[in-house]
Amino acid sequence: MISLYPTPAEPQHFSISEELLFAILAVLSIYAFWRRFSPILDRILKSKKDPDFHLKPIGKRIRDFLWEVLCQAKVIRQRPLPGLAHAFVFWAFCAFLLVSLNHCATLFGAGFLNPAGDLGRLYFYLAAIFALACAIGIAGLFARRFLVRPRWLGEKLSWESGLIALLIFILMVTYLAAFFIPDTSPAAHALWWTHTLTLLAFLPVIPHTKHLHLVLSPVTVFLSRGSFSRIPPLAGDEDFGLVAGGDLTQIVSLQAYSCVECGRCTEHCPANNTGKLLNPKEIVLGLRGYLNEYGPASEQPLLGKYNAQEAVFQCTTCGACEFQCPVGIEHVPILVGLRRGAVNTGAWEDEHGGKLFLALERGSNALGLSTAERDRFIEKNALPIFDGSQEYCLWLGCMGAYDPKGREIVLDLVRVLNHLGTSYGVLRKEKCTGDPVRRLGNDLLFQQLAESNLDALAQNKVKKMISICPHCVRTIQEDWKEYGQPPAIEHHSEFLSRHLSQLQPAQNKQKIVFHDPCYLGRYRNVYDEPRSVAALAGQLVEAPRSRERSFCCGAGGGLAFLGEETGERVSHKRAAELAATGAEVIAAGCPFCNTMFRDALAARGDGAPQLVDIAQLAARGLPRSGAS
Amino acid sequence: MKILVAIKQVPERDAPVRIGASGKWIEEADLQFALNEPDAYALEEALQLKDKHGGEVVAVSAGPERVGSTLREALAKGADRAIHIVCDDLGERDALGVARLLAGAIKPEDPDLVLTGLQSEDLGHGQTGVIVAELLGLPHATLILHVEKTETGIKAKREMEEGWFQFIETSTPAVLTMQSGGNKLRYATLMGIKRAKTKEMRQIAAAELGADATPTAVLESIVLPQKKKSTQMLSGSPKEAAAALVEKLKAEARVL
Repeated sequence: MISLYPTPAEPQHFSISEELLFAILAVLSIYAFWRRFSPILDRILKSKKDPDFHLKPIGKRIRDFLWEVLCQAKVIRQRPLPGLAHAFVFWAFCAFLLVSLNHCATLFGAGFLNPAGDLGRLYFYLAAIFALACAIGIAGLFARRFLVRPRWLGEKLSWESGLIALLIFILMVTYLAAFFIPDTSPAAHALWWTHTLTLLAFLPVIPHTKHLHLVLSPVTVFLSRGSFSRIPPLAGDEDFGLVAGGDLTQIVSLQAYSCVECGRCTEHCPANNTGKLLNPKEIVLGLRGYLNEYGPASEQPLLGKYNAQEAVFQCTTCGACEFQCPVGIEHVPILVGLRRGAVNTGAWEDEHGGKLFLALERGSNALGLSTAERDRFIEKNALPIFDGSQEYCLWLGCMGAYDPKGREIVLDLVRVLNHLGTSYGVLRKEKCTGDPVRRLGNDLLFQQLAESNLDALAQNKVKKMISICPHCVRTIQEDWKEYGQPPAIEHHSEFLSRHLSQLQPAQNKQKIVFHDPCYLGRYRNVYDEPRSVAALAGQLVEAPRSRERSFCCGAGGGLAFLGEETGERVSHKRAAELAATGAEVIAAGCPFCNTMFRDALAARGDGAPQLVDIAQLAARGLPRSGAS
Repeated sequence: MKILVAIKQVPERDAPVRIGASGKWIEEADLQFALNEPDAYALEEALQLKDKHGGEVVAVSAGPERVGSTLREALAKGADRAIHIVCDDLGERDALGVARLLAGAIKPEDPDLVLTGLQSEDLGHGQTGVIVAELLGLPHATLILHVEKTETGIKAKREMEEGWFQFIETSTPAVLTMQSGGNKLRYATLMGIKRAKTKEMRQIAAAELGADATPTAVLESIVLPQKKKSTQMLSGSPKEAAAALVEKLKAEARVL
């Protein structure tokens, strides 16, 4: 007959030899933990200092810590079932901090949670609820890892994960079982020791492999770079990016050891999902492997045994990995850092990449066309030249000035601006913002382009800018800061959504799917504005992956200029997904997405949805004569 | 192998050129300048020869202070040192005058090979390299795409018309003028620029070289190309359009 007792059983008396045995085992356990943990800590601390790291603003750090670590918000939101299971394990661990301390203290008669007192009892009941949820959760996670086996957890089964799951399960079950036996029962003693031995066995396993995230990831989340995909400045004359071990900073090393190998980054990576070599998880684990073998002061190149140059240059910098990472790893600065190391030292040789760099060293635009083409476009369409009297400087960008589709988008935006009576002008001369070379790691060229443009904008006394290209917006607003103070800039979706009331809905309503550009969504947090503009022309439907989970078009990170991809084309995969929504219109908010999908949809043949930019949807409702 | 590469700084390709007040040269005030493209290929070939066989690459250029930036670019791409012949009147010297300056600076270096672009993008005489060879009394060849080192000298691939190539061999020292497009150019790197700061850049005043600046050919005036072509679209049925075309060919173009 099983009966439930109001308090968990606590053995009443321990012998001296038991106390001695516990003390020896506890010292051994802590020693075993420290023996494994201290070299890791040493490698992190001996890494180079991050030159630009600031704890301020500390409020944001505390908020992120509370939300992402304590509330497990990202863990749950991005993978609800396993996320919740993990959250219960985590919360149970938090609750068990006191329980376990008390558990060990009872050995010396120094228990501080009184099971008979109201507070103590309440705490034990609370812990019991978490223990139950945790036991169920860890069993579920065990089944997922060893029976369901999702691809992104990796092909090799990790026996340590099984062991950890077993230890956690025993901890919870032994705690719960204590509610079913009286204090005086000899079973209470046995249960106490089982629980204690499990606890002491658990500790040394933590620093081994991915379970280190228990200790490190809260710190990693707290010590983030401060904003999404932030590329740190290079420090001094000998810093060329991540070339060798000596270039790994404390943040990078900390992140490398924090990886929990959950594979969310891999699951969402456009390169990995289209059969390419790049696997963001393996990049991080590669750095960990490097640190374990060579240490943080080594001169061994980082691209070599542990990470391949080919993989690093397959990244579209879409940031899906970084957005998904539950332990605060910032993949994009790492990948761009490795590219910087290769490009700034001239180690990267690529036919198309070299052409892009030379086109921008000698010319003004990434497409390698003559600036006369831009002049003719401006002249033919009588675009006003910015002279300081207008409100906005309309930044054309390479795509808006040279690409046929980009030009269409600009001209439709211009129709809307004229309709609204907004004054604007374009610069006589504009150079590429440097976005593709920034993401490819060419700091020299990026600096030249940024400085030249900042100069031109200052000379023209530009205060406010608007652009159809999220890459231009991001690069101007964030990346140029390293070299000066850029004027305020916004994406046209933000501008248009503020003027919705003055725009007329189109007559002919269509079914529209909006594709979130990476540099507008994840990079700028703009999701609703373009949708509100697109809704002018019809009924919105959502793609299976949308908003912050949007799937890249394949153009970012300079890849639009690098020629044919290996494996399936990212643009084809995404275009197929958008077309499968049954929408008649695919609306994009980025000229690069537009050009990628234009080719992908053309390959699908007839019956493919129409491809437009949201500016074109906003212009649909305007009277055709257009001119103001 | 010691290779001297003679390079020129020219207005950027897309630069909006205007004719200066004298009518004899362009207004330089607002222009951006860059490395002459065929010279970039000459430099690349020199650097590739150095990568293969070792030795030294020295960049030499004549012109005002601004030329320093182009020489630094050459150092950043891998040249070991640079010689800047400082002269503010480059535009007034003819090809012979410029070649005298270059030859004067090159001679004491006693190089194994002198490479330069086959012509400049601004004046396009295509003479300077050849005259330098004559002044130095060295064998020379033009329109070279590739250079290979041989036991006794060099073997060069020369571009001919209609896709034909000629292979020539010569002893060294020699002067070659390089055609564009033979190699993939390397991009400038941050490391290259930083390393270039510590490399030697020697300035020589044009007067020190004692070269005669009196031009044998004088530039009288320059003009911008006039836009003459205009496109007309002929509308109507094919029959009408054809009739209109014949009419225009007869009356306006007067070719029928």
